[in-house]
Amino acid sequence: MRIESGQTAADAERMETIRMLRDSAIAFLGADLGRVRRLRFQDTGFDRATWREMCGLGWLGVRIPEAQGGLGFGMQEYVALATELGAALVPEPLILVGLSARCLPDDELLNVLSGERIILPAWQEVANALADAPAHTTFDGRKLIGEKRFVMNARGVDAYLVTTSSGLALVEATTQGVSLSTEKTQDGGHFGTLRFDGAVAKAIPVAPFDEAVADATLASAAYLFGLSERAFRLTIDYLKIRRQFGKPIGAFQALQHRAVDLYLELALTRASVESAATTIDAKASIAQQQAAVSRAKARASRCGALVCREAIQMHGAIGYTDEADIGLFLRKAMTLINHFGSERAHRARYVALMKVA
Amino acid sequence: MNTGDNLNELDDASFRATVRDWIEKNYPPEIRNPPKRLHFAENKSWYMALSKKGWLAPGWPREHGGMGLSATKQLIMIEEFERHGCARLNDHGMTMLGPLLIRYGTDAQKARFLPKILSGDHIWCQGYSEPGAGSDLAGLSTEAVLDGEHWVVNGQKAWTTMASDANWMFMLVRTDKTVKKQEGISFLLVPMDVPGVTVRPILNLERHDDFCEAFFDNVRVPRENLVGVVNQGWTMAKTLLGFERIFLGSPRQAAYALSRLEVLAEHMGLADDAVFRDRHAQFALDLADHNALFASFVARLKRGQELGADVSLLKISQSELFRRIADYMLEIAGENAGLLEPIEGNRDLNPAGLFLQARPSTIYGGSSEIQRNIIAKNVLDLPG
Repeated sequence: MRIESGQTAADAERMETIRMLRDSAIAFLGADLGRVRRLRFQDTGFDRATWREMCGLGWLGVRIPEAQGGLGFGMQEYVALATELGAALVPEPLILVGLSARCLPDDELLNVLSGERIILPAWQEVANALADAPAHTTFDGRKLIGEKRFVMNARGVDAYLVTTSSGLALVEATTQGVSLSTEKTQDGGHFGTLRFDGAVAKAIPVAPFDEAVADATLASAAYLFGLSERAFRLTIDYLKIRRQFGKPIGAFQALQHRAVDLYLELALTRASVESAATTIDAKASIAQQQAAVSRAKARASRCGALVCREAIQMHGAIGYTDEADIGLFLRKAMTLINHFGSERAHRARYVALMKVA
Repeated sequence: MNTGDNLNELDDASFRATVRDWIEKNYPPEIRNPPKRLHFAENKSWYMALSKKGWLAPGWPREHGGMGLSATKQLIMIEEFERHGCARLNDHGMTMLGPLLIRYGTDAQKARFLPKILSGDHIWCQGYSEPGAGSDLAGLSTEAVLDGEHWVVNGQKAWTTMASDANWMFMLVRTDKTVKKQEGISFLLVPMDVPGVTVRPILNLERHDDFCEAFFDNVRVPRENLVGVVNQGWTMAKTLLGFERIFLGSPRQAAYALSRLEVLAEHMGLADDAVFRDRHAQFALDLADHNALFASFVARLKRGQELGADVSLLKISQSELFRRIADYMLEIAGENAGLLEPIEGNRDLNPAGLFLQARPSTIYGGSSEIQRNIIAKNVLDLPG
């Protein structure tokens, strides 16, 4: 570890932690997309054995304090990990279950962190709503009534952490009065619609739900950034090998300049996501944190859509085949750009928050 | 100079306060927030105030009369100058020539030229571009031929900013026509008040005379005025450009334009218009993200890392955001878009003026297109 001038020992140590976390993620995830491709459009859309291994690495508890069995890291570390998850198109719902984990009491948390039990958050009731929108699902302390939509990876999990008009409720997937229907999504997973018809649930005491949502939204932005950056790298590689008119197509200035535009968008996205993580780590006011998160998610959604669109165009006809890996990135981006809030929704929230911050 | 000694030891906040306080007490009030770039005759009082204080050259080492400040503190100084609305100086000597001489000049050249920059005796301009050598700068054709103990210079330089104020020009000249174009260029220091030099101001789109064309007709320059090695001028000039780009990438122009856009929207009754609000929000987000990107480059400097060719990103991002905001001002200004003077004489309401000011920002210092070429080749490693 080398301490550069103008940098404190704590900064250097932190950069080293981030580097190690990133390196171990890259080593575990590998470059091969075969597993991701095989899991598409199958049953649960992810792999429970891999899930346990990821939990064994502590990835679910990055933001959980050490005293509660987590790694106790800051947001900058979480963002670094989520970026690698995105680059590898990881289908396991780490960011979602990480959100629930932040809100669970200790007696529920241990089995979740170990990977034995998967508890998925269910907050959304209509399309295009942010995670902190008020819930209309009701809970009288015993029974749940209402409907949750766009619950990603809803099939094959053990329980749901449900937002209601009177706080959070935990309901088992197999409880009577819970019904699930699903719709396939472009990335090979699915959205669930959950109906609660008086299902018996357990109240979860006061939980840092807003903070957990801010973390998860920023992690989702980082995932989109990682996905976009790798799609960009694949495209640059392709521009160097694909030959037309007797030279690599990357020698044409029209394509070079468009590639630089994507590179600039990626640089802005990285800066936006990392500065939002710093804002959270600096314990700014919740309004400032949410404004920074909205800025980052708006940017990451824009970047993901732009980079993947251009990546397909620059690949030409091969990019339109299901066989080409670049399509995996486009399909994942299509599923994620508006999840946790669209560019437009976050832009509007940013403006509203800047007025109060 | 004793002031510089303790300034570097101050923490950033105290340093900022010290600078701010001194500017407030010493800046000539009559030239605050000038509507155009000032000539030396107009900004000389400020130049000399900084000279006397020893603050003209924040980046130079102290042994040469500079302040020897860290990159972060230099940026703080720039921010404070901008904040107060300080006029830009005739600064080519401090920002461009000085650092180059310190790195490549002989001891005699340093002793002769550096003190004259700091005293205000020598006002420098930069002779790079030519009518036939803009983006393709290495294709320049102004030539210098050795004749005994003198270089004889013939040719024409164009777009030489503030040349009419300058009594010296540092210029790139062709000294070998037989080799690859980048390998036959030298760096020469030329006095402007000698026979054979003619300077003509050029009126720009803002109807200001910031830049000039300069003609050289058998101008005789002493042999010892060549800096570095003959035919190595291109490499020397290029090393300076990275540092220039981080300053051209500082958010100040875009931030200024956004604040003027808000004033204009208010004036045009659009401040609560939903379409305007959404466009404005997008600009605000773009600026906030640009600030984050700029800060990440400054942090790299702070850690002592060299900046790579990707610093061109900053220049593209800033200048194009500035331009997009100015374009939009014209779009919402109604007939005022065509006014030659500010609306109702109010300097804060000058959409046409700001629109024109934004035009050259994506051209000078390497156009957006050239910056994209640089990134494509040197960062993305695309074939050429």
